[in-house]
Amino acid sequence: MSMLVRATRAQPVHLVVVALIAAVFVFGMTVSDRFATPLNLANVQDQMVALAIVALAQTVVILSGGIDLSFAGALSFLCVVFASLAGDTTGTLLLAMAVVAGAGILIGVINGGITAYVGIHPLITTLGTSTILAGVALLLTRQPTGSVPLFFEDFTYGRLGVLPYGMIFVIALYLLIGFMLWRTTFGTRIFAVGDNEAAAAVSGLPVKQTKIAIYALSGLLCAVAAMYMTGRFSVGDPRAGVGFDLRSITPVIVGGTLLAGGKGGVLGTALAVVLLALLANVLNFMNVSSFYQWIAEGVIIIAAVSFFAGKGKS
Amino acid sequence: MTQPFLAARSLSKSFGPNEVLKGIEFEVHGGHAVALCGENGAGKSTLIKLLTGLYTPTGGHVEFQGQPAGWTDPRQSLAAGIAVVHQEFSVLGALSIAENIYLGAEPRTRLGLIDRKALNRNAQVLLQDLGITLNPDDLVENLSVADKQMVEIAKALRSEAKVLILDEPTAVLSQNETRHLFRIINDLRERGMGLVYVSHRLDEIFEICTDITVIKDGVVTSKGPTSEYTHDSVIAAMVGRELGDLFPHKSADPTAGEKVLKVRNLFVTPDLPPANLDVHAGEIVGLAGLVGSGRTELALALYGAASATGEVALMGEPMPYRDPAGCIEAGILMLTESRKDDGLFLNTSVARNFAATTPGHGVHHSAIPPGHEDRRAAILKERRGVVVDHVGLPISALSGGNQQKVLIARLLENRPKLLILDEPTRGVDVGAKAEIYKTLRELADEGMALLVISSELIEIVGLCDRVYVMRDGEIASELRGSEISEEGIITVAAAETSTHHGVAA
Repeated sequence: MSMLVRATRAQPVHLVVVALIAAVFVFGMTVSDRFATPLNLANVQDQMVALAIVALAQTVVILSGGIDLSFAGALSFLCVVFASLAGDTTGTLLLAMAVVAGAGILIGVINGGITAYVGIHPLITTLGTSTILAGVALLLTRQPTGSVPLFFEDFTYGRLGVLPYGMIFVIALYLLIGFMLWRTTFGTRIFAVGDNEAAAAVSGLPVKQTKIAIYALSGLLCAVAAMYMTGRFSVGDPRAGVGFDLRSITPVIVGGTLLAGGKGGVLGTALAVVLLALLANVLNFMNVSSFYQWIAEGVIIIAAVSFFAGKGKS
Repeated sequence: MTQPFLAARSLSKSFGPNEVLKGIEFEVHGGHAVALCGENGAGKSTLIKLLTGLYTPTGGHVEFQGQPAGWTDPRQSLAAGIAVVHQEFSVLGALSIAENIYLGAEPRTRLGLIDRKALNRNAQVLLQDLGITLNPDDLVENLSVADKQMVEIAKALRSEAKVLILDEPTAVLSQNETRHLFRIINDLRERGMGLVYVSHRLDEIFEICTDITVIKDGVVTSKGPTSEYTHDSVIAAMVGRELGDLFPHKSADPTAGEKVLKVRNLFVTPDLPPANLDVHAGEIVGLAGLVGSGRTELALALYGAASATGEVALMGEPMPYRDPAGCIEAGILMLTESRKDDGLFLNTSVARNFAATTPGHGVHHSAIPPGHEDRRAAILKERRGVVVDHVGLPISALSGGNQQKVLIARLLENRPKLLILDEPTRGVDVGAKAEIYKTLRELADEGMALLVISSELIEIVGLCDRVYVMRDGEIASELRGSEISEEGIITVAAAETSTHHGVAA
């Protein structure tokens, strides 16, 4: 049991999140009969997929003591590139996937490289790359452009019972990254660098290379999210990523991962993604303006961080 | 003599124009424990960083088993068998004991994954070998400071180390824990390992070290087998002058003056015994104790910067409610422990740093007339012995000693009745130390009451008229006159904790 707790990095706060999910769920059932239907719950899951993937990337980066604000620009850019190359055959799709994955990794290597070797705070580095890529995306096209093969679009809408394929893919990704954090030396290094970079360096860990690998992984996950989003939209939207920089951070923080690094894990992020998606869905049923959803999300962020700040002092 | 495991050959290191180490000759042989002695800032840490490849030398070289080492990265020295237990622990709270010990060298399965069973098993064996009973799967953040230290040592020894460097390993340990560490050190030495032991505590050095090397101002001033030294000869080599020259005279009758500060039943923490202490006009009172014994916390409580309940009276007047602003107004001033973190405005001019807390005469409202600060700051050069070309320079351009003098001068502008100084000479060279000691004694002779916190026992012993020794958050003893010695303080400060507090209460 304790091994399971250690492996999943479960924290007492996760019980709070689970309780909140249950509360929102019950509340949702009182709001509308259509809330707890398989169709709606599948919709909620569809809504989560892209955010879940970038939040996973953000979790790994924040665990290492960094932050990745490049998703906004990177997603927009990668969506445009993917839709431009994907064509309508398996061959063109695979080529587009390879190019976009490579571009995502390259973006990450640049983010990590500048952060590690020039010594610029990742907040600045990634904000810079994000802004550049947002500009490039809009230079490439002002309007949504390109297309994806129909079978790929169908795949992103496909379901196995109540589980969308996208959701199954997300669960697999979370298990994979969770396993990586628990059983690989790279995973241990992520925690070590996030906990105390100087101590990690003195212990002989290759801190700079680790950082580059972390941002590269983040960039790769961002590329995966871009492929999914393009499949859903069936075009490449040069504004697809707007807002994802900050939205990707919310579930990480609400899930109990320390913004300072070294502490937390993917379980908390997964639970928080579910909570936020359910909450947005319930508010939709209540016909509440999306502006109120922003307010609710903001309140949740501050409440979560205050909660952890209070705990840290005791 | 056999070839040393590790040696420095005319090793030098400069940072810009600042030469920190000059032509160091230093050897560690197998089966020997070499004490590296020197004051703070003498260059010990720099030497260690050079020996392990964290810094590259600007002159000379490091020799490993007779060959030039040429390390440019601590990983290379680690691989060669040079292990370091750092002063600031390099253990990571977020990882388990076993993960810490094998960080960067985790046992793997055939698939390249971390073999967690082997990881915990190997760590268990290593810990047992050192006589440490800890569960390797526990998170390090939950461990006591002493246990973290043990993990640090286990980590250093995970690979076949030839040389183990311990940087101030006992600074945070109790007497019992120190005993345990010494057994481990002696055991490792007898197995043929070479050890480098950095410590301020001379008693410990004479107990476990076979050789002594003394560094002062970046130069080796003395070295040889321990048997050729006495306490006094080591101190003389460290300080570079007789102790009598470093410290001014002491007060003939310290408690003769008026009682400036009277503290009764001050609870800094509700669950620890309260503090009682007095400081008289004209005396320098020392507050000694190990790191973490509660010295700074008590001082901050007296200064109103930490909450505490109890009676505090200044010049016979009770001070029912205290905060730093009220204390400054009443005449209690404090020099904080870390001048860079909470003392100086580093990028601001010397003059503005000096004038920051007092407006000075002729200043009304908030407007400071042009040139006013610079004119006021002239006093620094004229009366406070600060060496600076121009008071408009950023204070970061000054040496540590001169920065400290500016801070003390700033406090004196408030005409304190009681001056609390937390580590007043940290990172200050010997010459400036002597000047600061002299200044403090002059202030006492003029009738000020001074309370000095210091980790350097030499300083407490040489400077203070009376000493309160703290242990585990309470004042454990008061020493006067001839009772004030390094042995006397350490005996009280590092004694085992009594199991129950407040038995008498």
